[in-house]
Amino acid sequence: MENNNKKSSVFYSYNLNPQINFETHGEGEKIILLLRSHPFTQIGWILSSIFFLVLLFVLNFFPQSFFNLGQILIINLFFIVFILSYIWLNILSWYFNVGIVTNKRVIDIDLHAVIYKEISDAQLGKIEDITIKSGGYLQSLFDYGSIFIQTAGAAVNIEFNNVPHPTDAVQVINNLLGKKHGS
Amino acid sequence: MDLKDIFFKVIISLFALFYFFYALVISKQVKTMDKTLQDKYNWLILLITSLQVTVSLILLIVLILSIFII
Repeated sequence: MENNNKKSSVFYSYNLNPQINFETHGEGEKIILLLRSHPFTQIGWILSSIFFLVLLFVLNFFPQSFFNLGQILIINLFFIVFILSYIWLNILSWYFNVGIVTNKRVIDIDLHAVIYKEISDAQLGKIEDITIKSGGYLQSLFDYGSIFIQTAGAAVNIEFNNVPHPTDAVQVINNLLGKKHGS
Repeated sequence: MDLKDIFFKVIISLFALFYFFYALVISKQVKTMDKTLQDKYNWLILLITSLQVTVSLILLIVLILSIFII
């Protein structure tokens, strides 16, 4: 686990021993790892935001006869506000979608469209199987992938999607499982 | 002021009103998430969210005033 320290924080998306707290944090529970989606997976909305800003800029060069100058200014202002809101919504979505590994359990906090919150957790003792899915040129190049944690019985399964260094993250969990089972 | 101008201002004011409510919902949810996950950059997230609500409120007031003044 210690040799992973050099890989802490890929733009704040892979953090070993982070200084955070969360709602259901139990007494004596130590937070080992915090995971967010790899920043490269956010490229889609970043590019579309840039495209819309450029489009708005270009459209202003075409003469508008239907609207007067004041109205064009207001329309521009509105479009800029909406594009900034779109950017902000995506940043919030990235920031609050986290996977947390503690010395007692793994927790998946999801925020869908900023209005729907879902928190699922699984005790380390109930983990049966961990699968890493990482494929394709980009995932190999930037070293990111998804981790699926299968739990025993009716307990919920946990998914950490598109996280950086999935192999290292699974190694951290496996080390904790080893300690838990005393091997 | 012709009918087109009035129509434009009413539509844009309605957009501003919806945007204001949207900003309030986002602000409320961010406060909830701030309790769920306390991270070192939460102050920045809360600051920008408050800024968004302020901007949306200013936008709404300016546009409503523009209906009556201009």
